[in-house]
Amino acid sequence: MADVYNKAGFDFSNHVRNSFLQSKGVPFPKATSTGTTIVGCLFKDGIVLGADTRATEGPIVADKNCEKIHYITDNIRCCGAGTAADTEFTTALISSNMELHALNSGRKPRVVTAMTMLKQYLFRHQGAIGAALVLGGVDSTGAHLFTVAPHGSTDKLPYVTMGSGSLAAMAVFESQWRKDLDRESAINLVSAAISAGIFNDLGSGSNVDVCVITAEGTTMLRNHVTPNERGAKEKRYKFRLGTTAWTKESVRKFVVDESVTQISVPAGGEAMDIS
Amino acid sequence: MQRLKAGEVNLGTSIMAVQFDGGVVIGADSRTTTGSYIANRVTDKLTYVHDRVYCCRSGSAADTQAVADIVHSHLQMFAQQYGTPPPVHTAASVFEKLCYDNKDNLSAGIIVAGWDKGGPSVYNIPLGGGLFKQPWAIGGSGSTYVYGYCDATYREGWGRDQTVQFVKNTLALAMSRDGSSGGTIRIAVITEDGVERLFIPGNELPTFWEGPPVPMTVVEAKKVVPTAGEGAPIEVEA
Amino acid sequence: MSPISQPTSVAFNPYAENGGTILAIAGLDFAVVAGDTRQSEGYSIQTRYAPKVFRLTDKATLAVNGFAADGNIFVKTVKQRLEWYRHAHAKDMPLRAIARLIQTMLYAKRFFPYYVYNILGGIEEDGSGAVYSFDPVGSYEREACRAAGAASSLIQPFLDNQIYFKNQVAVSGTSHPKHLPILDVLSLVTDSFTSATERHIEVGDGLEIYVIVASGRSLTELSSIAGIEEVTGSASATDRVFVIRRELKKD
Repeated sequence: MADVYNKAGFDFSNHVRNSFLQSKGVPFPKATSTGTTIVGCLFKDGIVLGADTRATEGPIVADKNCEKIHYITDNIRCCGAGTAADTEFTTALISSNMELHALNSGRKPRVVTAMTMLKQYLFRHQGAIGAALVLGGVDSTGAHLFTVAPHGSTDKLPYVTMGSGSLAAMAVFESQWRKDLDRESAINLVSAAISAGIFNDLGSGSNVDVCVITAEGTTMLRNHVTPNERGAKEKRYKFRLGTTAWTKESVRKFVVDESVTQISVPAGGEAMDIS
Repeated sequence: MQRLKAGEVNLGTSIMAVQFDGGVVIGADSRTTTGSYIANRVTDKLTYVHDRVYCCRSGSAADTQAVADIVHSHLQMFAQQYGTPPPVHTAASVFEKLCYDNKDNLSAGIIVAGWDKGGPSVYNIPLGGGLFKQPWAIGGSGSTYVYGYCDATYREGWGRDQTVQFVKNTLALAMSRDGSSGGTIRIAVITEDGVERLFIPGNELPTFWEGPPVPMTVVEAKKVVPTAGEGAPIEVEA
Repeated sequence: MSPISQPTSVAFNPYAENGGTILAIAGLDFAVVAGDTRQSEGYSIQTRYAPKVFRLTDKATLAVNGFAADGNIFVKTVKQRLEWYRHAHAKDMPLRAIARLIQTMLYAKRFFPYYVYNILGGIEEDGSGAVYSFDPVGSYEREACRAAGAASSLIQPFLDNQIYFKNQVAVSGTSHPKHLPILDVLSLVTDSFTSATERHIEVGDGLEIYVIVASGRSLTELSSIAGIEEVTGSASATDRVFVIRRELKKD
């Protein structure tokens, strides 16, 4: 029986119906996927995260400038690849739980906490939540960088890549990453890795987003590099007024006219009924 | 049988554990794959579950990490309640219960090894969730290539160094034959005194006969100096 | 997960889809045939320069799109048949005859088709600009404009609106033009491809526009175009062929 309040968590009530429809050959709606190149790398003072900004639906570009670096806490960020909705909701949920955890424990949040929450959440759903993540941050124990795969496995490495452009980006890291890079070199390296994804992987494109996290604070460099600006169109496509054909005309007035009629009141006002 | 779920991260793996008089030697390769892509070339598959109990993981990375995390939690509770470190058999039994009860949903082949008051011991928990006490155990896809080597080579009464060498050789042989194993060798020696970690880089693995010499001039590769920078090409020293 | 293993299909698939887009527009006494130069498979770029538009004669240009291997072989075979025609008749095959030739060549492989969409553009014997478009098994039609390939569903509606003036009401007392000026057509082609590059991941890298001009038509408008190059085959040709190359975005 339907309850007054919805239960927490996912609603699976349409699962049987959808499986039946799918078995009868009704195509399933396609989720927006962030084709994606996302990366992260360790440097002297902390972590640099990077992401491209293209979101796709099959071969069509759904968003030319989307944000894939999600906020977890002030000192932790998470890049998402895979199903766009899953990365957005998963990171938002963990961000919320991290805030509560920090409030409850009275301590600054740690990267391993976010990593553990993410892996346990994704493992519980057995890969059905298509989120492939790069998690990075700086806490009281130092700088940490992780990948979290959709089934809930994690890796801890000094430089990581994920998404369809991960091979192109990893090629850059494997040939150029060094220990204890300075801030500028690390940003440039991450930009080069994301650019490799943007230009060599069709699932990735548009701009480079970068995020630098150190013990001093977090700097989000939105659209740090924009190598794919659209050129001017040769023609103007403004339609003359009256271009669209119409079959019927109906005009409705949106302004409400009100007339106020003053009703005369006896001098001294009406006497109160005190019976 | 399709054991792995589509797109799942796999520990293609060669793992082993060998008992000797004073302790156990555990070892593993360091390769993690998704299909043909190496997702991690320096993986640590020797996983801490308590101070003197470790496990070697093979199968699905997600499943084995989750199981190891749960066992780790159970053993912490055990140590708190009983005021004594958990015996290796206890740890292995927790693994066995999880792997057996959830056999339909897990792809995990785990070797549990460690030291307790009864001495060193090795337990093998293969795919279905069985529990087998063995003097030595090998596991993962690479293990099938080296059963013969282990059967022919293993002797009782070895010391620490001999056992380490045996683990090193076995893993190197398995990694050279199995495409989904490779990278480096990680070893841990668990004794009453503690856990000592050893690392053998990929270019320092033991080698065996690898065929007749290649009939061509070997030219020393030019040294590549990596430079980070926007689209910076790799500079080649003359 | 079922413990029983299922049989898996291991049939070899001889076809691939290599992305890209082509389009052609016919004018009064000219035709424009264009295609991007990216060739891809899945999420990988195979090459950033693989031409999809080919000059067949001095009055005919063919654009092929779909499975690149089939497309290249098809163009090669068409060119061979045209050469044989030249040897037999001492003249180039007329455009409408090339169209019919392409139909029979495609239909000959009805049950193992060339996995390609063809668009033929050029000048008819009466000097008019013409575009013929084909499906993979040879159904064809003469049209004023046609887009095919990966981004055809993005470009064709735009062309319908701008060339056929679909969904546009003319100023009362006037009518829409039947043919557009050549520079307007070239702008529409460029804008079609830059826009498709924005929204389709398989379109980009480079653009090749072939312009086939009927004999007697003034070339003054064309001379104003940057980087235009004449690729007419024979010195005695009356109809002339030009190519315009443009860069497209590479992401």
